[in-house]
Amino acid sequence: MKTIIVFIITILMLTSMAYAAESMIWGNMLIGNILSYGTKDSLNMGPLFTILQSQYFRNIFLVIVIGVPAVFLMHYLVLGARFFSHDGKKVYVFSLFNRLIHLLAAISFLVLIPTGLMMIFGVYFGGGPLVMTARHLHGLATALFFLAVIPMFFFWVADMLPTVDDIKWIAIFGGYLSRKQSEVPAGKFNAGQKMWFWIATLGGIVMIATGAAMYFQDFNLGIASAFGLSQIDLLRASAIVHNIMALLITALFITHVYMSLFAVKGAINSMITGYKEEQELKYLHSSFYRKLKAQNKI
Amino acid sequence: MSSETSRMKFMCDSSRCIQCFACSVACAEAHDLPVGISRRKVVTLHEGVEGKEVSVSIACMHCSDPPCAKVCPVDCFYIREDGIVLHDKKKCIGCGYCLYACPFGAPQFPRDGAFGMRGVMDKCTMCAGGPEKTNSAEERRFYGQNRIAEGKVPICAAVCATNALLVGDAEDVSAIYRKRTSSRGKGE
Repeated sequence: MKTIIVFIITILMLTSMAYAAESMIWGNMLIGNILSYGTKDSLNMGPLFTILQSQYFRNIFLVIVIGVPAVFLMHYLVLGARFFSHDGKKVYVFSLFNRLIHLLAAISFLVLIPTGLMMIFGVYFGGGPLVMTARHLHGLATALFFLAVIPMFFFWVADMLPTVDDIKWIAIFGGYLSRKQSEVPAGKFNAGQKMWFWIATLGGIVMIATGAAMYFQDFNLGIASAFGLSQIDLLRASAIVHNIMALLITALFITHVYMSLFAVKGAINSMITGYKEEQELKYLHSSFYRKLKAQNKI
Repeated sequence: MSSETSRMKFMCDSSRCIQCFACSVACAEAHDLPVGISRRKVVTLHEGVEGKEVSVSIACMHCSDPPCAKVCPVDCFYIREDGIVLHDKKKCIGCGYCLYACPFGAPQFPRDGAFGMRGVMDKCTMCAGGPEKTNSAEERRFYGQNRIAEGKVPICAAVCATNALLVGDAEDVSAIYRKRTSSRGKGE
């Protein structure tokens, strides 16, 4: 307990020191920033951010939040959901700790993604206190996600490493393009889940880092200089990376929700109870199923 | 302020600026700015190096094609007919994007929210207030004085002892500067 308190105090002191130091944006470097803005020798971060933010980001997000659900709606209407018998045996796949951490991450995502979109489309909400509150909630939910992402990364990373099954899975799009019930090559997690895992954990850490940079804004921890950037260019780069990463995460999050809630009926139960239907494992995670069979765990 | 297409501009003549900070202090005082915010900053380069030391006063330059207005996710900026770039603090969410787009580092963010969270953006208004009713108490509280409405010069330029800081229609400002540079060294 004592070490934790000391740790927290040290962090607070370090951050306040970073704040107390001379401004990294509005100090003497201001002249250099002005003179280099948009010149040939500079990284052109300012104009690049301006173009991306003013002309591209909002439109691409619009395509994602309308297009991705539209594609899945078509899929649902044309090919329909997968059903697996819920009367058969069940296999225990997710421990209580797995499920609790996943729940924490899920709650944080359910706050992060809508509040993030509220900021991007802030003009349609009229701005002001409503969108400002969304921005503050976005920051608070980051703390929740931060607590979830590290344990989540470590307890699933071994199962998330790429295998030969993943290539086969991608080649047939996980079998989601046909109505036929056939055994899909996948381990405990299929290639789609693996993609989501890496984007959500490593990408999530990038989101936390870039988001924190934008949140704290004027700090001096030697991060910008380590990248050979000025503080303002670090912020611009952070905003660009944060938005591009957010596009990926939003698209895959919608996919993740569709798969667990709609595409495979009852798939979400395994993340609530910890038990997965044997039939579901047999068809959608065939390699994993065979491995469990061989080990006499079923 | 002569032609119909007049655009109000600032210009700081660095050969005249003596780093007295009068503009910065007068601005902060006139608009009751919170501690840590100075809409106008005086920056000195090569301090103490003989022949190289130069000072300049910087604030929002009221760009003709302001990048801040382009990137604002809530569209809180507006440009007056005379070219002064203003923003609506009731719409602003304090995201900081305008600062990233701005070449001059003009937007600043007072930490006035609960737990010292970053509040809405504050920047130079060229002493022209904001969208609220002109010279109302509300306008004054959010944006400071509206000297333009009173027919006065922005306070920073008004107090500049060496007339280094010029403000007015872009053509008038450049005419003054042109006259200064062309007549340099020709006096007695």
